[in-house]
Amino acid sequence: VTTGHAVTATAIANCLGTDRGTVLDRAFAGADAFSPGSAFCDLPFATALGIMPELAGEPALDCTPTRQARVADAAVRQLGPAVAAAIERWGARRIAYVFASSTGGLEQTERALAPNPRLPLPAAGYCYADHGVDATTAAIARTLGLAGVRLAISTACSSSFKGLASAIRLIDHGLADAAVVGSADSLCRTTVYGFHSLGLVAPTATRPFARDRAGITLGEGAAFVLVERDTDATRRDALASIAGTGAASDAFHHTSPHPEGLGGQLCMRQALDRAGMTPNEIDYVSAHGTGTKLNDAAEAAAVRRVFERAVPVTATKSLTGHTLGSAGLTAVVLAVESLRRQVITPTLRLAPPDDELAVAAVGAPTPCRVQHVLVNAFGFGGSNASVVVSAPGARRS
Amino acid sequence: MTIAAIHLLAARFFSTHHASAADVLAGRERPPALPAYELLVGRARRFTSLVTQLHLEVAGPLHAEAGEPPIAVFATREGEIQTAEKLIADLRESSILSSARFALSVHNTASGLYSVATGSTAPATTVTGANALAAGWLEAALTALAEGRPVLLSVADEPVPAVFQGPRGEIGVAAAFLLAAAPAAGRPTTSVQLAVTPCAGDAEVDALHALARAADAWQRGAAVTVPLGRVQPDAMLELHLLPPGARA
Repeated sequence: VTTGHAVTATAIANCLGTDRGTVLDRAFAGADAFSPGSAFCDLPFATALGIMPELAGEPALDCTPTRQARVADAAVRQLGPAVAAAIERWGARRIAYVFASSTGGLEQTERALAPNPRLPLPAAGYCYADHGVDATTAAIARTLGLAGVRLAISTACSSSFKGLASAIRLIDHGLADAAVVGSADSLCRTTVYGFHSLGLVAPTATRPFARDRAGITLGEGAAFVLVERDTDATRRDALASIAGTGAASDAFHHTSPHPEGLGGQLCMRQALDRAGMTPNEIDYVSAHGTGTKLNDAAEAAAVRRVFERAVPVTATKSLTGHTLGSAGLTAVVLAVESLRRQVITPTLRLAPPDDELAVAAVGAPTPCRVQHVLVNAFGFGGSNASVVVSAPGARRS
Repeated sequence: MTIAAIHLLAARFFSTHHASAADVLAGRERPPALPAYELLVGRARRFTSLVTQLHLEVAGPLHAEAGEPPIAVFATREGEIQTAEKLIADLRESSILSSARFALSVHNTASGLYSVATGSTAPATTVTGANALAAGWLEAALTALAEGRPVLLSVADEPVPAVFQGPRGEIGVAAAFLLAAAPAAGRPTTSVQLAVTPCAGDAEVDALHALARAADAWQRGAAVTVPLGRVQPDAMLELHLLPPGARA
């Protein structure tokens, strides 16, 4: 039986919806939730974006209502009862809070500093404390009643997996018994224009692993997991377990992937080793799958090298857009749900697939036996991380 | 609570306004100087920010001393804040962003360039936020204990541009520490103990002086206790360095 760290709750919000049930139902139905880029801001180029719907009701977080805070708020309000139970189990001081994001409060800074060249800088009401990656940390911890160790991680698009690994180390070394690992990134103009400047933004909705793929669709979203020490009680409540994590660097180029996905190979192998599994035990790979020519080719090469078989592969960014620092945990939350539903989420707009990639990309919601999922999150800096998510009590072959 | 002891194998310090860690502690400033960051050569040096240069100035030499490629933990409170200012200014004026500048705007720019320049495929992470100094030490120590291989901790920050109306200051500072779970064979190592201790009220720590105290103590072989800042709402992290022969 796999051992690991129990995932006892998940939360997710993105362009598919602001409550967990809606997001999961729409994801597993293969809903297309992208909007024209002009719905976010005036853009001199065509693109689609994954824009989170407006959030109903009063904010749960008592902090400046930045766009990032609003995105995080949608996920935080889903977690209350599960975190309360964990506090009952461990005490508030024994639950860590690890937050991961790529852009933090950058959108708020843009809003204050960029819109009108005639205004003095910064705009009235702007507070530098709202800029940082950890801008929402205190408010989220207060709202959830957490009093444990806090830290913030930012490694671009692998951020949330680095944060998850940090949280597991805190538990393993006795600094916490449980951890809320959160990630949120909102859309902002810097990333939309910035990825476009790199030639990485698709003019229409992203098509990971498709023959005619043309780049990324950026999105915004938050994904949180509650991870607890493995005990009889937490195993009983577990939705899944984190069976292993891995990390490695490409050591190749700051923004372009290693052509053979070297760092991806290393971190997938490390995650499998730590889970005590062979590649044959993985039921599917939830790929980083950004939809750029080079990224998908490098990741496909890495998957082929590690698995040496046609393991099913899916790309959740075709559903949610690329939520940057939140992308990894977003895929983990969907993987956890796939264990329950025994269905693989689809890679939208796959047809026709790129046969040269030689991976078994899944183009429709696919019922199958799902006990173990390997999830990838890769980012700028050649920063690669993988996580093995297993069904509670799943047996290894 | 205390965390299992680890070992400090080497340390480096750089300040744009001080010739050494000892000069920081003595209050002796020098005319401002920029880091040489020799780890990067040629085109790789273009567009790099001061905080990236600072990181590489101290991390490069310690990587060379590590023997095997260390796992890298970079820590920065403000991240690439000067690059963020330039990008926002570009958005303000023309809505055209430099692709190179955008690529180097992420918090893990320095750790990414470090791994490319050294050819190290070891994991690299970046800790940030208001408690980056304490959280960076915590992350590095736990990683050393968990992985059983050397960990390079690099801490750096550049001044925040005035437009943000954030923390004031003109000094860029960096320090790197080579840590390991076990003592290095054949050379004296300083024992490192991290302790989470209760604190009430203001626990704000001046990173320049905290880093200088740790680096200076390592260089002199002296014992020192350095508050690193808050890691919990009511607790802070303390660093205790205990060189060979010193008493706790």
